[in-house]
Amino acid sequence: MRAQFVLQEIWIGLRRNLTMTVSLVITVAIAMALLGTGLLVKLQVDSSKSYWHDRIEVSVFLCNKTSTNPSCNKTDATDQQKAEIKRDLEGSPVVAQVTYESKEQAFERFKETFSSNPGLLQGTKVGDIPDSFRVRLSDPERVDEITKLLANRAGVDQVVNEKEILDRFFKILNGLQWAAIMIAAIQVIAAVLLVANTVRLSAFNRRRETGIMRLVGASNLYIQLPFILEGAIAGLIGGLFAAILLVGSKIVLIDQLQESLEFTSRLSWTSVTGVIVFSICVGVLLCAVASFLSLRRYLRI
Amino acid sequence: MIHFDNVTKVYRNQNRPALQHVNVSIEKGEFLFLVGPSGSGKSTFLRLILKEERPTQGRVHVAGKDLSRLSNWRVPHLRRRIGCVFQDFRLLPNKNVFENVAFALEVIGKPRRFIAKVVPEVIDLVGLEGKAHRMPHELSGGEQQRVAIARAFVNRPMILLADEPTGNIDPATSIGIMKVLDRINRTGTTVVMATHDAAIVDAFRKRVVELEGGRVVRDQSRGVYGQAY
Ligand SMILES: Nc1ncnc2c1ncn2[C@@H]1O[C@H](COP(=O)(O)OP(=O)(O)O)[C@@H](O)[C@H]1O
Ligand SMILES: [Mg+2]
Repeated sequence: MRAQFVLQEIWIGLRRNLTMTVSLVITVAIAMALLGTGLLVKLQVDSSKSYWHDRIEVSVFLCNKTSTNPSCNKTDATDQQKAEIKRDLEGSPVVAQVTYESKEQAFERFKETFSSNPGLLQGTKVGDIPDSFRVRLSDPERVDEITKLLANRAGVDQVVNEKEILDRFFKILNGLQWAAIMIAAIQVIAAVLLVANTVRLSAFNRRRETGIMRLVGASNLYIQLPFILEGAIAGLIGGLFAAILLVGSKIVLIDQLQESLEFTSRLSWTSVTGVIVFSICVGVLLCAVASFLSLRRYLRI
Repeated sequence: MIHFDNVTKVYRNQNRPALQHVNVSIEKGEFLFLVGPSGSGKSTFLRLILKEERPTQGRVHVAGKDLSRLSNWRVPHLRRRIGCVFQDFRLLPNKNVFENVAFALEVIGKPRRFIAKVVPEVIDLVGLEGKAHRMPHELSGGEQQRVAIARAFVNRPMILLADEPTGNIDPATSIGIMKVLDRINRTGTTVVMATHDAAIVDAFRKRVVELEGGRVVRDQSRGVYGQAY
């Protein structure tokens, strides 16, 4: 009895101000889709970050005949210089691992990485990438100590920190993520105001019914529940549309991003589902709470 | 059943009190006419019983309970034991007679079987047998008021408040309405009826409380509408 009665009231309310309901659903859908996209990008960035964090290397390129660094004097680094550099690196507390890569090995690796790009391979020959030490750090944040250690060292051409390159890239992604979340926040505010307005209008339309309900002693919950559920259902429908948009954004945006940027860690459908469920819950809760608060003043005993 | 203990009510932004130092006691099963000109405070008196308004001063007791000590969430329970009828009927236009009466029970969560049983009984009691499926606009004013009374009484309240129930009805039909209220009073329900219909008050010879400018100027058992009549 109760359930049927409440559902009937909700249906009447949603149908009676259909245009408001539709705009509410659209706003909630966009807000939740943006929020979800922001979260997806964030998840992707976080997982990539931790992936790269473990793999980030500092490359110490050694002098050779084509080095532009004047301190190299256009000569190869000597074996003695190499041994000293290796010893000092291994002695440093921030270094986890040091591997030597000869120019032949570097060329092999280059060939492998760009095997699908014959044009690039043709223009490259052994020696274009000099001999180097590839240093993995125990803490990538403390790269400065390596730079200091090798400053003005004989036989060192340049020290290249991968982290700097990655950081610049993650900064862009971070910006993207915040932009999505900011727009989502604005949309959420719009959604909250719309919910409050829709529900208040609905309560006004049905003031005769609610007046009688109060008079015959219906409890507050009973009077307010249809309106709150009305908001919540609009939120749910909006959330479901957002889910569709999120699946789209996973396929179109995130997967493309992964492919073009060669992210090694893929965002699983499990985490996408998690984000979708979270967005729907936020949408429903937001609408229900906004309805409740907008009614508190309107339907007082 | 109902006690007004030195009650004064001043509405917000209003300097003249709607009620002043009102002391009235109404016993269980009584029938009381509340008379007085427009603006004398009759509706305010009834709203205080429902705790729709709070007294500025003094106390209102209903069924042994001090309303000022009744917490907000218990107000609905108070109202379930008080039925209300108004001059403008206040029916739901898109529901038929049965649904209008049943509404009062649905919204307090009564089971469907109970509703199916008691609603027809009450419709018969107010003299609307055979009209359960009519819509409000298919009924005369008197019949609409009977529906409103059925809705007020369907939950068997201990008190029935009627605010000028015959105000929109011609005198001949009013007699029928009064008979229904009398029938309800005879079941032991306390009835308080605000009116300025002198003929009815004179015909019924019940207790009369007269208000004027918010003050009780007369409280008379088996009274008439006014000295002039
Ligand atoms: N909600 C209200 N706000 C302010 N003043 C009110 C309100 N209701 C009634 N009044 C005032 O209180 C006085 C008594 O009104 P009311 O109780 O409605 O009298 P009656 O029902 O006898 O006509 C009137 O002067 C009226 O203007
Ligand atoms: Mg009045």
